[in-house]
Amino acid sequence: MSTEDKPAAAPRSLAEALRERDDASLAALLRSRPDLITPVPTDLTQLATRAGTRASVVRALERLDRFTLQTAQALAVAEDPAAYGELLALLAGDDGGDADPAVSAALPRALAVLREQALVWGGDDRLRLVRTARELLAPSPQHPSPTGLGPTVREATAGMSPGRIQEIVTTAGLPTTHDSVSAVTALTALFSDPVRMSALLDEAPAESVEVLERLVWGPPYGQVTADPAPRLRWLLDRGLLLPTAPGTVVLPREVALRLRAGRAHRTPEPVPPPVEAAATHRPQVVDATAAGQAHTALATVEELLKDWHEGGPPVLRAGGLSVRDLKRTAVALDVTEPVAAFWVELAYAAGLLASDGEADERYAATPAYDEWLERPDAERWARLATAWLAATRSAGLVGGRDAKDHSLAALGPGLDRSAAPEVRHRVLTLLAALPEGAAPATGSVLARLRWERPPRGGRGGVTPADGGPRGAAGQPGDGGRGTPADGEGGDDLRSRLARWTLSEAEMLGVTGRGALSSHGRALIGAPAPRRPEEAEPSGPGDKLPVHHRPAPPAPVPAPLSPAERDIASAAAARLLAPLLPEPLDHVLLQADLTAVAPGPLERPLADMLGVLADVESKGGATVYRFTPGSVRRALDAGRTASDLHAFLTTHSRTPVPQPLAYLIDDVARRHGHLRVGAASAYVRCDDDAMLGEILADRRAAALGLRRLAPTVLAAQADPAGLLEGLRAMGFAPAAESAEGDVLITRADARRTPPRTPPEPVPDGPPVPDDTLLHAAVRAVRAGDLAATAPRRAAAGDRSGDGELPRTTAADTLATLQAAVLTGEVLWIGYVNAEGAASQRVIAPVRVEGGFVTAYDHTAEEVRTYPLHRITGVAELADEEG
Amino acid sequence: MNGPLIVQSDKTLLLEVDHEQADECRRVIAPFAELERAPEHIHTYRVTPLGLWNARAAGHDAEQVVDALVQYSRYPVPHALLVDIADTMDRYGRLSLVRHPAHGLVLTSTDRPVLEEVLRSKRIAPLVGARIDPDTVVVHPSERGQIKQTLLKLGWPAEDLAGYVDGEAHPIELVEDGWALRPYQKQAVENFWHGGSGVVVLPCGAGKTLVGAGSMAQAKSTTLILVTNTVSARQWKHELVKRTSLTEDEIGEYSGTKKEIRPVTIATYQVLTTKRKGVYPHLELFDSRDWGLILYDEVHLLPAPVFKFTADLQARRRLGLTATLVREDGRESDVFSLIGPKRFDAPWKEIEAQGYIAPADCVEVRVSLTESERLAYATAEQEEKYRFCSTTATKQKVTEAIVRRFAGQQILVIGQYIDQLDELGEHLDAPVIKGETSNAQREKLFDAFREGEISVLVVSKVANFSIDLPEATVAIQVSGTFGSRQEEAQRLGRVLRPKADGHQAHFYSVVARDTIDQDFAAHRQRFLAEQGYAYRIMDADELLTDS
Repeated sequence: MSTEDKPAAAPRSLAEALRERDDASLAALLRSRPDLITPVPTDLTQLATRAGTRASVVRALERLDRFTLQTAQALAVAEDPAAYGELLALLAGDDGGDADPAVSAALPRALAVLREQALVWGGDDRLRLVRTARELLAPSPQHPSPTGLGPTVREATAGMSPGRIQEIVTTAGLPTTHDSVSAVTALTALFSDPVRMSALLDEAPAESVEVLERLVWGPPYGQVTADPAPRLRWLLDRGLLLPTAPGTVVLPREVALRLRAGRAHRTPEPVPPPVEAAATHRPQVVDATAAGQAHTALATVEELLKDWHEGGPPVLRAGGLSVRDLKRTAVALDVTEPVAAFWVELAYAAGLLASDGEADERYAATPAYDEWLERPDAERWARLATAWLAATRSAGLVGGRDAKDHSLAALGPGLDRSAAPEVRHRVLTLLAALPEGAAPATGSVLARLRWERPPRGGRGGVTPADGGPRGAAGQPGDGGRGTPADGEGGDDLRSRLARWTLSEAEMLGVTGRGALSSHGRALIGAPAPRRPEEAEPSGPGDKLPVHHRPAPPAPVPAPLSPAERDIASAAAARLLAPLLPEPLDHVLLQADLTAVAPGPLERPLADMLGVLADVESKGGATVYRFTPGSVRRALDAGRTASDLHAFLTTHSRTPVPQPLAYLIDDVARRHGHLRVGAASAYVRCDDDAMLGEILADRRAAALGLRRLAPTVLAAQADPAGLLEGLRAMGFAPAAESAEGDVLITRADARRTPPRTPPEPVPDGPPVPDDTLLHAAVRAVRAGDLAATAPRRAAAGDRSGDGELPRTTAADTLATLQAAVLTGEVLWIGYVNAEGAASQRVIAPVRVEGGFVTAYDHTAEEVRTYPLHRITGVAELADEEG
Repeated sequence: MNGPLIVQSDKTLLLEVDHEQADECRRVIAPFAELERAPEHIHTYRVTPLGLWNARAAGHDAEQVVDALVQYSRYPVPHALLVDIADTMDRYGRLSLVRHPAHGLVLTSTDRPVLEEVLRSKRIAPLVGARIDPDTVVVHPSERGQIKQTLLKLGWPAEDLAGYVDGEAHPIELVEDGWALRPYQKQAVENFWHGGSGVVVLPCGAGKTLVGAGSMAQAKSTTLILVTNTVSARQWKHELVKRTSLTEDEIGEYSGTKKEIRPVTIATYQVLTTKRKGVYPHLELFDSRDWGLILYDEVHLLPAPVFKFTADLQARRRLGLTATLVREDGRESDVFSLIGPKRFDAPWKEIEAQGYIAPADCVEVRVSLTESERLAYATAEQEEKYRFCSTTATKQKVTEAIVRRFAGQQILVIGQYIDQLDELGEHLDAPVIKGETSNAQREKLFDAFREGEISVLVVSKVANFSIDLPEATVAIQVSGTFGSRQEEAQRLGRVLRPKADGHQAHFYSVVARDTIDQDFAAHRQRFLAEQGYAYRIMDADELLTDS
């Protein structure tokens, strides 16, 4: 690692470190962390502060590849600051780069990335991880690190009594010290020293070593009982396990690192897993297959929209296509429902179909569809493929459920996944990196993607979701990588997106037989295909300057800008065009009344044949069958038999078979033999001269008469109007019933079916009975009593009639208690829970616990009133009593 | 990429016959694809699971199939289709029926989950016995056919490796004096014998009986021959005596009238399926001898009960003969699982091209009903309609005109309704053969017709099958059994036997215009049109003015 270009003085903070960087390097930082420039920081200090905020750091860490993340994790468990050598030892083990050349080769790149992203600063001798990152990545009981390491001795002994620390130091074979700080330092030094440490461990009983081995790769916590077994006791006495909480012990970081020979991760992954080829096909075969599929894709989208031509399915209220409509579409397209969802979403993404926005909302083709139809095939395909690449909507989600357990409908909301375009692009560029014609093993593609962006919350992730199992019996944790076993698995979103990408690319004809086609390659703007003999790009370059230049060795190409995309799509269309089958201008007619189009047909020919015959089978060729029904359809569409004969003769390579010609003539012979029309009324008369007279009369023009037969006229006017009209013209027509009888105008007395007379609807409620009246009177009376009873003025009560009586609380209580004894009726003012005041006349029965129970004359029932709500009492005037 | 084949997404294959590679391609795809239609320009083959398993049974593997498609296809073959083919073929042979030295018939699997899956099926459970080891389960020997049938329905066809019993030996030789098996017949015998059991599909008149005789000479063992009716049984006997070393005494007839059991026994389907008091009393025929070979004539007519008996005969070699595997009841898969896969077929036109069957001119003559007939037809009861329109008087006139035109040639008039036939017989002054005609009388009339003593014969549908009328050059069908496709094929077969003088054969179908007769005729003809025998359509007036 070159440190020749030593800065004048080592930077003392991230801001200073940033200040030393040149413009290109700062631009690289902002490119990789675009969140830092919204809004644009005023100065570098502010930039540094913002780069250290938690949200920004989390976001940056999530976007690191697995090895760079491992490097950051290693830095988080190292001393702060750490020297390059220490970091290398943490990643490659005590022997450093010699033991693991791949790590030492990859580390400079990882470090360069971390520096570029302002997650690490300082020279190689003083590498500092940004504090927020350190907090996020350093192991703590709440957030165990993927490294599986525990706290340091210093951290673990923070709350321990000095006496206990001295005991441990002594037992560990060290001299006692004056204070705890130096004791801890001595202990740390002992644990970090390989020679002395191995001597110490040599003395350990076998069972104790076993305990250590169980904890060494994490999780480092274990449970102990109040009275630990001797094997644990031995470890606890020497500080090899330290108590963290009652019943819990931890393996200190230094001890674990020693036991791991200095490595922070069980398996550092310095090299991205290669994408392996599962099969290799000839490039011509790949291109041809992909082109065939591209043609099918066009045909399918056309068929879909043709199917929806006369009004597509309705839009669900929540948006999207109902499950039933999706099923129906799948049947119509002869594909499975997920595949149908893909085509529908594709057409939507390409702007070929949309909701019509009417009150009764339905899906329909857009005007863009008509334009699209006019384009050459290759361009049409490029448009679909480009739309697919850039879409954030993911058809693969259709049929699944969202977080609220709502089913996700095709064309509906909730299908956008912002990672989709990037994953699609990345998968295709990975395919492009394979030799021409090689189809990748899906598992290796997924593994590669997971390496480049470890799934969030996964074992290699930044913030593990769960605290991890704890316990002395805990399985050795996995030091931060997916096991090879989940090579195929991985149901994190990116893996699912990648799998969908592979299958959708095949359907769309971007790939053929799993391998990227040449037009697919052009579509993503990838360079010309590599020849198979070229080597896989070797590991990261090892001469990278520390600062200033980002450039990871195999840069992940960014998705294309719109302008680049247009160029790429035009290039793809150019490559695809010669591969697509030429439209044919002829079909083969056969005596079994079928026509075979041995390839795609020119559009007018296909349209006409689609009317004249039924499609029986689709694919590279189309088989049509002529039936009486289909021929009739063509005749209905305004063609004549001779048109059809001429059409078939022109477009058939072979003579028109006699049965087919006969069929057309036979159907034409009978076509239109029966005529159907609408009329409102008719005039019938045995004397055709009279009908002629009516027709000739100008006054009959308004009746819309037409002669159907010598003795029958049809009229557009209704029967009554026709009768009127004819009478006005001086004729004496008679009406006729449906059976042909003369209708008598003296209408029959008409009767309804049996009916009951209507119930009278009185205005207002029914008259009440006596009991009710009695009760009502009493109630009214009582209320009246309360409101108007003349009363003796209570003490201090100066208020006039209608106002609430006011007495002091003591008076109130005394008066009430007296009334209980005397059975007197009282007049009270009362404020209810809502604050509404009322006057009541009550006969108190009992006063206790702050309540008065009384017969309420106003309500005519026994009620209980809280004393504090009673504003005052007054005795009723004597004359009432 | 300019092959003769187009692979469609519905798994049909379109073969352009005029393409230079067409023959080559046909040979390669024939083992796994079923020829569905063979009109003049483009033949349609269909790839079905059954066909693919047939191919596996015949020793072809998925790679060959995929290669064939890719090599001859004009357009790229969809990847999904190739994957599907490979998957389907891969299902065959995961399970196999083998003979275990200790446990007898067992079902074994190379794929344990598959075995688990099928054993969990309710339909399989009663057919199997104890599990011997994780991969093997005992099968009741009597259920060998049943289990094959059921496994096929479950989509896991079993390979039957349990072998055959040789049966009782009986010397049979072909006597090739002045004739020899034709190359395709030899090929058919060879394919069948190599495959063990199976079906040979040959057009009518292409000599299926000789394929049977050839197979018997191969087997050299006692043989049970199942045929459709007594006339056909006599025919077989006659032919066998003539073509092989067998003598009259060695061949028994087991029918309604005779119950002989000889080394070679010919039984009718009818007698086997006769039920008395809920049992089939003649079933013991199957066990009455240690048959080494069982021959099913006209296997497409095999009645359902016979399928059931056949399920019990899986240890014996079985040969099915037919002109078409099309069954109106759609039980083609039962034929596959119980008798065996298709071992040989040849398109009609190909055999015609080789000169073994006569070229035929098929004409549909459309007669118009008279006005009063049309009114009567419109008001006829639904079930009477067909009878009414197919027996219209106009047909009689047309028939007479055709007979006049071909005066001097051997003419068969075939119909469904006895009244109509009787009337025609009277007008044409020709004998009528119908159900009530005794067998002796029938044979006498057939002989007379064969000798040329009578030139016009009116027959009902009793003559549909297996009678040999070598010199019939013209057949006139005045009414048919509704829309039966195979009947139409059989009837055409009557005139397809090669003629001594190289005459072209004529097949006339007289149909009433604008009635259901026409619809049924269209349905019947579709099969022939698809075999390349396209009909010309003529108006009756045209025909009447011509003659």
